[in-house]
Amino acid sequence: MKLAQVMLVAGKELRETLRDRRTLAVMVLFPLVVYPLVSLATVQVLTARIGRGDKVPARVSISGPRPIAEKLHARLAARSHDGNPDFALSLPPTPATAADVRAGRVDAAIAVEKPSPGASGGGAAGAATARVLFDETQERSRTARTRIEEALAAGLEPGCTPSYAVTIEGVAPRTAMGGYLLSRILPLVIVVMVMLGAFHPAIDITAGERERSTLETTLSAPIPRSALMTGKVVAVATLAMLSGVLNLASMSITVLEGAKLAAAGAAPSLPWANAGAAALLVIPPAAFLFASVMVAIGALARSFKEAQTLLTPVYFMCMAPALLAALGDFELRGAAAFIPGVGVTLLARDVIAGHASVGAIVAVFASSVGYGAAALALACRLYDSERLLGADDAGLGLRAWLRHLLFGPRATTRDEVINPDLPNTADAPPTAGHALALFGVAVLLLFAFLPIQKWRLVPGLALFEWVGLLGLTAVYARGSGRRFTSVLRLRKPSLAAVVGAILIGASAWLVVGLLVQWVLPAPKEVEEHIRRIIPSGEGKGGFTFAILLVAFTPAICEEALFRGPILRGLRTRLSALGAAVATGLLFGLYHGDVWRFIPVAVLGFAFSAIALATDSIVPAMIAHFTNNACLIALARAGIDEAGTEMTVRQRLTLVAVGAVVLAAGAALIAHARRTRRVRGPEPSEGSGPQM
Amino acid sequence: MTSPAPAVAVDSLSKSFGATAAVAELSFAIAPGEIYGLLGPNGAGKTTTLRILAGILLPTRGRVEVVGLDVAREPLAVRQHLGFLTNTTGLYPRLSGRELLRYFARLHGLDRDAATARIAALAGALELGGFFDRRCEALSTGERQRLSIARAVLHDPAVLVLDEPTAGLDVLASRFLRDFVRAERDRGKAVAFSTHYLAEAELLCDRIGLLHRGRLLAEGTPAALRAAAGDAPSLEEAFLRLVGAGTGPRPDGSALSPRPPGSDGPR
Repeated sequence: MKLAQVMLVAGKELRETLRDRRTLAVMVLFPLVVYPLVSLATVQVLTARIGRGDKVPARVSISGPRPIAEKLHARLAARSHDGNPDFALSLPPTPATAADVRAGRVDAAIAVEKPSPGASGGGAAGAATARVLFDETQERSRTARTRIEEALAAGLEPGCTPSYAVTIEGVAPRTAMGGYLLSRILPLVIVVMVMLGAFHPAIDITAGERERSTLETTLSAPIPRSALMTGKVVAVATLAMLSGVLNLASMSITVLEGAKLAAAGAAPSLPWANAGAAALLVIPPAAFLFASVMVAIGALARSFKEAQTLLTPVYFMCMAPALLAALGDFELRGAAAFIPGVGVTLLARDVIAGHASVGAIVAVFASSVGYGAAALALACRLYDSERLLGADDAGLGLRAWLRHLLFGPRATTRDEVINPDLPNTADAPPTAGHALALFGVAVLLLFAFLPIQKWRLVPGLALFEWVGLLGLTAVYARGSGRRFTSVLRLRKPSLAAVVGAILIGASAWLVVGLLVQWVLPAPKEVEEHIRRIIPSGEGKGGFTFAILLVAFTPAICEEALFRGPILRGLRTRLSALGAAVATGLLFGLYHGDVWRFIPVAVLGFAFSAIALATDSIVPAMIAHFTNNACLIALARAGIDEAGTEMTVRQRLTLVAVGAVVLAAGAALIAHARRTRRVRGPEPSEGSGPQM
Repeated sequence: MTSPAPAVAVDSLSKSFGATAAVAELSFAIAPGEIYGLLGPNGAGKTTTLRILAGILLPTRGRVEVVGLDVAREPLAVRQHLGFLTNTTGLYPRLSGRELLRYFARLHGLDRDAATARIAALAGALELGGFFDRRCEALSTGERQRLSIARAVLHDPAVLVLDEPTAGLDVLASRFLRDFVRAERDRGKAVAFSTHYLAEAELLCDRIGLLHRGRLLAEGTPAALRAAAGDAPSLEEAFLRLVGAGTGPRPDGSALSPRPPGSDGPR
């Protein structure tokens, strides 16, 4: 074997692989962009969860002879951490029972008794006894037990007689214990196995069809695309369900046998009916959701290999929320039911444990089916014969891109020589692939500039926005041979568009911010952090400076990138509504804060809609500027903190006022759009339906 | 006397894929009972044109009608009147021939009895009996092509679109296919047929459209095309004269094959 031959083959293989832009994108974007964002979100959620749990006092009932009980009460009442009391204690006349603990009326019950007069010798001689009842299947009860143990063990010198001889007693019935054991293991297994069951069939029926050259045959049949893709999703979902059911049965038996071995025959009884109900209630919606998502992603791929490359990160991305839900001991209520992956995992846990509510079941089912239907609609759009059978994107190669970047758009491409009738590429819209790549690079830049921002926040932020984001847009425009003003859609807006943008910018934060704060409140410490990063601009010059840094700068630089090439690129593949939604989601993701994701994504959607409706980036910049300037003004006035302490009436009034202003702004933008259309269509819009 | 309405009417058809123009300003018509050959080298735009006829791709500009239906507006209705044979046979490998035909019969709206009768008739006419219950992945190229034809004509369409149907076939299979196409023509079907085998086009087609770089260079009967090229001795020579490339190598390096499989001598 000659080294030269090995190197020759390796060089050729590397060249081929690196020329496959999608593989490259997945190789680079996911580890460097998506995984850090997901990890960041996970850490934020878990930290908030742990922080919130730490602050909740454990409800403990103390019973027994009055003097001893009161002494214990005083001892436990003195326990606290970070200013939060560890316990909410009660001394009821009737002692709390095991039933009270099981029903969750108290987290733990302590029964104290006097030391027996004749007791002597031993470590606990002369100590009062404390019998602690807790429920092993409830997180709050387990926390209460831990705190009681710590409290009773604390403060003793080595060798001292303990004040209390503590006995701990779990009160969960055997069936509940079995359900608890299953509920810790099975939900994640069900969700993961349903996903795994959908993985290969989804690839086989999408990319596999293309690779087997049966795509044209399928597309030539007289069947609507929606029926075709729904049929494919139903097939994949059926296989995913089968996988889920088989794994559920297998894991249940394994857990049972394992528990028998561990308990030497006295295993907890397992709630088979609950496991069956979980299979019925969770597996079908989960299978539909994951099948739709995977078929949609598979429809993007040109080959089996590419589909695997694309779907593997998606698989892990889908698994992340399920894992988070399984580990985090979250309650299934509010927004949690509507988060894909989280809802189904928590529902499976609650159904198996035997305490799922009808509302939660309906919410999870409806949201999973809703998301699945959205993914199916996307799959219908992506399984497009134009894209699947058309020539591959003849984008600029690396060399041509660099030539454009360094020397400008002087050199003509081969296509232009062959086809002199081609449209001018200087005004061609960016592609969807370019849009996603630019987003990836922007996130990388965000991480790259982070050390500078930590070192010096103000210059770091300014440098990142003007050099990083705006520079990226400029480099992209020059490198791809496009006019910068064309990439940005930098056009003079009408007066109606400007006024509409100001009204939307001045009211969107009010409506969106207050509603989100109401529905999905961020932890207090997160709100405080957000307040800290919005400088109030104390003093005359300070205010101007804050406006320049936090309102003007992002309005120019972030808008240039997001409402420029990213929005315009996505618009070539998606409808106006789809492009605005996708850009809003990317805008939310880019801000890297799970608690601000929804409001920022909604604002991003609003700015995108304005840019598309007015066919100019300027009104979007104005709206962004107005929004941020309003936040700075509020911080300066010191009234931003009032939001969390408003009554429902005050809040609704403010939301209503904001909604009226927002509607007026939207009406003006719509008017500007109509006026623009009357003047005639503009070139190089995407081909999808209009918003 | 008025001529019958064309089964296929293509008017100023253009199709671009991003920056690449595949077809430009193409116009032709096919009458019922006529075989129209699209002839050209690889990359001339034949497959793109046929895919647009089949309603799989949409025109960038221009209009295409099949039995009076606009393919851009009514692609599903067009596919009910059209049988499309791809250049790769495109059979589902894990289905048997019988399962495949039943599936497509249902897609075309044939009821169970009609489908059974039609499948039996086609199995006899195309001699599918010997391999009808074998999985498609186990069939030879010729067997697959016969099964593909059965699939394409299952719903007895008025228009047949055949994209290089003899590519890769041996002499006997090619001749069988040509005979079948002629028989369909004689039954009043309009046939759009693409090939880069010049002699095959000359043998089979009533009229030929010469495509080069997405544009229609010339159109007419094989004899008329030779005459238009200054009484060229063969269709190949006529094509070369019409593209102005003489007898030397063509600038794009593409080639037209002079002899079809199973025509007049070994390939």
